[in-house]
Amino acid sequence: MKKTVGLIVNPVAGMGGSVGLKGTDGEMYEKALALGAEPVTPKRTSDLLAHIEHKGALTWLVAPGKMGERYVAERDVPFSVIEEVGEETSPQDTKRIAEKMVERGVELLIFVGGDGTARDIYDAVDSEVPVVGVPAGVKVFSSAFALSARAAAEMVDAFVEGAEVTEEEVLDIDEEAFREDRLASRLYGYLLVPEVRTSLQPGKAASNVSKSSTESKQEIAAYIVEQMDPETLYLLGPGTTLRAVTDELDLPKTLLGVDAVRAGELVGEDVNESDILSLFERYEKRKIVVTPIGGNGFIFGRGSKQFTPTVIRQVGRENVIVVGTRRKLNDLDCLRVDTGDLALDEALSGHMRVTVGYREEMMVTVRC
Amino acid sequence: MLSETIDLHMNEMPYPPPEHVLEAAREALTKLNRYADPEEMGRLRELLAQYAGVPPRYLVLSPGSDLLLREIIHTFSQGRKVVTVSPSFFPTVQAVKQFAPRRLSMRLSPPTFDLERDLMMDALDEPSLLIVDNPNNPTGRMLLDRRMVEAIAERRDVFFVIDEAYYEFSGTTFADMVADCPRLAIIRTMDKAFSLAGARIGYAIAGEVFLDAISDFYPFLPRPSLYAAMAALRNSGYMRENVRQIVEERERLQQALCEGDEGDLLGTRVYPSNTNFLLVRTKVPDVARRLREAGVLVSDMSRQLPPGFIRVSVGTPEENDAFLAAYKSLLIQ
Repeated sequence: MKKTVGLIVNPVAGMGGSVGLKGTDGEMYEKALALGAEPVTPKRTSDLLAHIEHKGALTWLVAPGKMGERYVAERDVPFSVIEEVGEETSPQDTKRIAEKMVERGVELLIFVGGDGTARDIYDAVDSEVPVVGVPAGVKVFSSAFALSARAAAEMVDAFVEGAEVTEEEVLDIDEEAFREDRLASRLYGYLLVPEVRTSLQPGKAASNVSKSSTESKQEIAAYIVEQMDPETLYLLGPGTTLRAVTDELDLPKTLLGVDAVRAGELVGEDVNESDILSLFERYEKRKIVVTPIGGNGFIFGRGSKQFTPTVIRQVGRENVIVVGTRRKLNDLDCLRVDTGDLALDEALSGHMRVTVGYREEMMVTVRC
Repeated sequence: MLSETIDLHMNEMPYPPPEHVLEAAREALTKLNRYADPEEMGRLRELLAQYAGVPPRYLVLSPGSDLLLREIIHTFSQGRKVVTVSPSFFPTVQAVKQFAPRRLSMRLSPPTFDLERDLMMDALDEPSLLIVDNPNNPTGRMLLDRRMVEAIAERRDVFFVIDEAYYEFSGTTFADMVADCPRLAIIRTMDKAFSLAGARIGYAIAGEVFLDAISDFYPFLPRPSLYAAMAALRNSGYMRENVRQIVEERERLQQALCEGDEGDLLGTRVYPSNTNFLLVRTKVPDVARRLREAGVLVSDMSRQLPPGFIRVSVGTPEENDAFLAAYKSLLIQ
């Protein structure tokens, strides 16, 4: 039985890069065109299709024309086209087509684009079907993307072979700030992606200690829970690593928000700054547990509305616990803070211990 | 595609052993039905002691320095936190993960990859086994200076292992401190500079505390390896000349990768090295795999560093040229 795979290409993704713009959101697309930008998605899409080994196991459901059809039509593969689009495509097209693909029962949705495209896909499919993101945008910070078109092809093959899926981050990068060379991002959501175990270097022995990211998160969670003091209020930040902690405690977790836990009980769900400050009136001992955003390493960014400078100051640097899988940490140059309060950012800078496994820590530089 | 694969991923010496070393190994083959003679093991220890400038009693032999590191981690991690740097020699990382119940790694951050003294002292806040590769693999950077080593050696609750696998290329050693520092061990290998990777001769110059625990690990070494190692040490001029050439080539390779208008080859960054390899950061996606397809093997560092890092061993001038040509062709694709 062949697997049905969807393909959506954002034809304008990445065009800003060659002409020095940082993204093609909004009016920037017009500007990129005026500057003579060339599309970058054709090569990425062709590379992807050329490197999928299990071609025979797939049947394609594709967006029309330059949003997908053009690329699969060049190859001898079974496909059908879904929906229609005009000459100029838009994020609405991406969302609408993605939704229709899910309705039509695609088992895997492949998209080619940047962070903006990933957000559109997330809006449309959430975690209903696994996806493979092929990086072609100017801003590709979300960890939901494969590292390259070829790596994306490997993920498609892994999916065909029955790989497990894992949740990866979709980020919302503030394009205005990015143009000013400031990276301001917030966690937008999670997409399900097939998990490919890191390919081994030639000539090296296979590692008998490699773990999936789910196992690593469970290890971290077990250690954090073991260390928990029943008198202390724990503010658990967003992310799947923190959800592993609440799973260990058998409590629910707001994936994109902050939850408060004390003595194994949930004392605040999806709390905001004022909720947190009123919890502080009741509980004197407090800790924040956060995980860095994949790809850029922010532990406190301008986007985290709940962990405001006031909240962080009242908790204190020594009571900030940072957790993250070794794989995530390896991908980072350093941890970052950008709370909007310069003095606090400086106080948070230096080194921090990050829990990366059961009784396993890494000392990492924090920069602002 | 090149007709033959160019191997620049294991930090081996590209030049084969000299004739007198091959001759010694061949002689050993005639005695392969027998274990190595303990006296011959003693002789290799003496030669290595002489080479390292320490009394022979501090020498421990092993079939490969990675096995020695593994044994040390296995033996000394109970009741101690194991502190390492990250990234580091991968077999060390694996052994720590496998054997050590409590682990702390000190992240070396680009662009400098420095190990800050304060950070290290903060990390050693309880009884620890500290393992540092100096120079570091894969950054090529020297992480320790004598004052740092002295400060740590004074700590009674810290066992300190320095991996000097690339000593011949860096010229820096702390082996002379072992006699006065019972909790210090230096780990070395003849795999790299001596052109003997296939012979697998590793050794430790170990302080008293380590000697008590590890000196009986490997009573025998393979006889051809033993003979080859002794011959290589008796006449080390060939090794020294090869090291000089590799260092010269390393500088040329680094220079070539730094060409371009902005001091880099289209965004390629090369980090200064004290070894026989270079750490390179590139914007070319999938670079290790694409070089492999072009017939050049380099090490993909994505298991320990952010995407885009590769480690390239310095080969012969012809091999390095082939790597440069393959890499440049990827840059313009």
